[in-house]
Amino acid sequence: MSTPLLTIDRLSKTYTTGSGLTRAGKSLIRAVDDVSFTIADGETLGLVGESGCGKSTLGRCVTRLLDVSSGRITLAGTDITRQRGAALRATRADLQMIFQDPYASLNPRRRVRDIVAEPLIVHRRGNRATVSDSVRRLIADVGLRPEHLDRFPHEFSGGQRQRVGIARALALAPRLIVADEPVSALDVSVQAQIINLLTDLKRDRGIAMLFIAHDLGVVRQIADRVAVMYLGHIVEIGATEQILAAAAHPYTEALISAVPVADPARAKQRHRIVLAGDPPSPANPPSGCPFHPRCRYATDICKTAMPALREMADGRSVACHHPVGIDQAA
Amino acid sequence: MASTIIRRLVHMVAVLFGISVLVFLIFFATPGANPAERIAGKNASPQTVARVERQFGLNRPLPIQYALMMKKIFITRNLTSYVNLGEKVVPQVFKAAPITLSLVAGAAIIWIVVAIAIGAVAAAFRNSWIDRLLMVLSLIGISMPVFWVGTMANLFTQGIWHHTWLFSWVPPLGYVDFSKSPVLWFKSLLIPWITLAILYIGLYARVLRAALIETMQEDFIRTARAKGLSERQVLLRHALRCSLVSVVTLFGLDFGVLVGGGALLTEVVFGLQGVGYLTYQALETLDLPMIMATVIYASVFVVVSNAVVDIVYAAFDPRMRLRR
Amino acid sequence: MNPLLEIVDLAVSFRTSNGLIRAVDGVSFSIAEREILGIVGESGSGKSLTVLAILDLIGDPNAVVTGSIRFRGIELIGQKPETLRRLRGGAIAMIFQDPMTALTPVFTIGAQISEQIRIHTDLSRHAAQARAVELLDAVGLPDPHRAAARYPQELSGGQRQRAVIAMALSCNPALLLADEPTTALDVTVQAQILELIRKLRDDFNSAVILITHNLGVVAETADRVAVMYSGRIVETADTGALFADPHHPYTWGLLGSMPALDGIRRPRLTTIPGLPPALDRRPQGCAFSPRCGFVRPECLPAPPCLTGTMHQAACVIADHERAAARNQVLAA
Repeated sequence: MSTPLLTIDRLSKTYTTGSGLTRAGKSLIRAVDDVSFTIADGETLGLVGESGCGKSTLGRCVTRLLDVSSGRITLAGTDITRQRGAALRATRADLQMIFQDPYASLNPRRRVRDIVAEPLIVHRRGNRATVSDSVRRLIADVGLRPEHLDRFPHEFSGGQRQRVGIARALALAPRLIVADEPVSALDVSVQAQIINLLTDLKRDRGIAMLFIAHDLGVVRQIADRVAVMYLGHIVEIGATEQILAAAAHPYTEALISAVPVADPARAKQRHRIVLAGDPPSPANPPSGCPFHPRCRYATDICKTAMPALREMADGRSVACHHPVGIDQAA
Repeated sequence: MASTIIRRLVHMVAVLFGISVLVFLIFFATPGANPAERIAGKNASPQTVARVERQFGLNRPLPIQYALMMKKIFITRNLTSYVNLGEKVVPQVFKAAPITLSLVAGAAIIWIVVAIAIGAVAAAFRNSWIDRLLMVLSLIGISMPVFWVGTMANLFTQGIWHHTWLFSWVPPLGYVDFSKSPVLWFKSLLIPWITLAILYIGLYARVLRAALIETMQEDFIRTARAKGLSERQVLLRHALRCSLVSVVTLFGLDFGVLVGGGALLTEVVFGLQGVGYLTYQALETLDLPMIMATVIYASVFVVVSNAVVDIVYAAFDPRMRLRR
Repeated sequence: MNPLLEIVDLAVSFRTSNGLIRAVDGVSFSIAEREILGIVGESGSGKSLTVLAILDLIGDPNAVVTGSIRFRGIELIGQKPETLRRLRGGAIAMIFQDPMTALTPVFTIGAQISEQIRIHTDLSRHAAQARAVELLDAVGLPDPHRAAARYPQELSGGQRQRAVIAMALSCNPALLLADEPTTALDVTVQAQILELIRKLRDDFNSAVILITHNLGVVAETADRVAVMYSGRIVETADTGALFADPHHPYTWGLLGSMPALDGIRRPRLTTIPGLPPALDRRPQGCAFSPRCGFVRPECLPAPPCLTGTMHQAACVIADHERAAARNQVLAA
């Protein structure tokens, strides 16, 4: 097996909150807790979970927008966990990010031409003429027209702005893109356009992607593998179709069953699991398995022992003492 | 909660210590500003200056001097003036404080009540002629210098219209102690109160109007309307309560500054011998002990009123409580 | 039987420097007692404005509302503010999209609910507070006594939306207007809230108008659906009929745009090319025509009317052509 493009090894990110001179007044929040996974070249990993599960924090750690507390991030064989300065800038050429709110991430006073050209200029890729050519090509690749080049971000709709954000991320031909909820602020019909665009780009350019989303349908459309996060932990990871067809972790199972289906006939047949309560606060996580207070299969062991992420016979990994529909014998 | 209060107190003491050291250093350790030369008078012989230095302890190391001064202010309270030799400073401040406090507290009540009324009415009738008129009036209030307003007020109430029915009740300038005659106390302060309040009415009305208009755009205002509240109830119950936070912040700072001597001009114009007046005199004669005493008094007030504001804040807005 | 609410030819326009702009244009529908009507559309379709207009809550001095809105036979457009105020939160209640900002941050949950109760009833303060706790219990908030004493920001998003719903239900409304009530919530919490809304008709005898952009949410919740596009209803039918046999090309596009969780994974999603027209640059004919693959000359002079009886659509595609055209879109 070849080495993966990205390897995340036991990554944790903790925050302290609360004021006060004493340690007692503060509380430790484990936003991301001992997470490991890999992404192969050209592969898309979907990262799903509900708000507060740590998926965005994880994305920001991977792109080094946040410093990690412990663990290791390796990109194409290079340890980038503690990179600074010039080395980090060089890494950024291979590792770009797309954000949820394209408006907040685009400088409102600059024209599209300059926004897309900026990474090329910063990284000294080519002269004035070649940069201008590249920008034109990029803009065409994301489905915008040449006359859009001289407009400002506020002159665009949400979907078009997201296209500008994607063009900027593509400018340096990165090997990995971290996309943090890139379509969740968009209307359904525009969302579909952007998903198709991203699907084409990853197929044509072989870019690997860490695709963070809360919408399982969107993730299914774009991701080869999917990782489900709950309260800072990955609870299940494996091939997308495999997991969506039959979830092994009770949380994944509930998450899938909670998605409303646009087909009343099928909706009636579906077995719906409605979880009680809200996800617990990461500042005060439950003992043992973080999901046990809401889990319908929980037993005594779940209250005390945190299940490790174990690989199952079918290739997926699950962090559960009682995985759904899988024989414990394995 | 108790730990919050203790933390707050420690914080206050630290701030006061910092301010007192700073002021002390400015006046006692600035090169070329030897206090002994000031006390000894002009053209004093070096021997006289040296004698004064010894007598006042000015030849001792600075930390000792500082400690002595703090001891004389806070513990023995027998710090004496360098100008009117032998006169004790602390009792003077204590005599002036009630005058300033009476002036500022009365003015504050007026300006808060009137400004809330004006701000709320202006916001309720936003963009109508009532709103515009009120905002122009408050702008005028802000732009009129307080000493000019005071002088004009004196001119009319003490001078040309004093003998008309309108102002014949106004007593002569100066302060009458509350314990002596509450009625006279009130009468003697009413015109100064209004004079001092005008500026702040204008300021606070404008700030409150802006805050109210912003709050009225919030989602919860739409919820309040959807509940069936009348427009007046929406404004006065839901919007005003949330907008007052910005006014409370301002008020804490302004009140502290004014009680600490910031009402100087009003005090001078109306012949009220308050703290501002005292500071003014001390600065004129560079009476260092008096300056130290008034500055420390003032900073105590600013710091204390800030602490009070934080508590009031929490009462007004539970969001602040949760943030801790 | 008379409908609970009947809207005829509702238009909401805004006065601008470029003249009057129509954001809602000739919307008509009715809703029966205890019925759940879903209104689906993308941003700018006019779905929220339609519902806000019912209680005169648009809150923009430049908005002009025309047409007829009858609630239990009483005309609401042009009604006295006092009458409308009594309806608001009483017989017609409303819940909004973002539970994070929908409650006043400086009052406790209990105080905000009992405030509404006391506007519409003559219960004492104490009795209203007790009723508020009962309501919080009824919407499934754990520990309702403590929840009533809490401030909005002390509750999670799902709990807040339950509190907002409890407040809306406090005076047993005959009609509940829910504007994207689950959009800001996580899926597992959304499932809880939708279940709660489905139960309202049994527990509170309320009819519900549910506004959403999510076809899945209406499919699972509503009895009847209206699809809005650019200020008009383009299709309306019973939920089962609409999803089994969608008539309008825009509905097809919406359905095709939704990534499915099961079935075959399509390599690409169906998309609707382009964007909805700006309100001041709406085409003269069918507003969807610039994005529609089946445009004909008769689409262009004037927008087509809603035709049909139970299942209505504003489209010229004839019944016998429909299945072929739809397959062209959805199978692509």
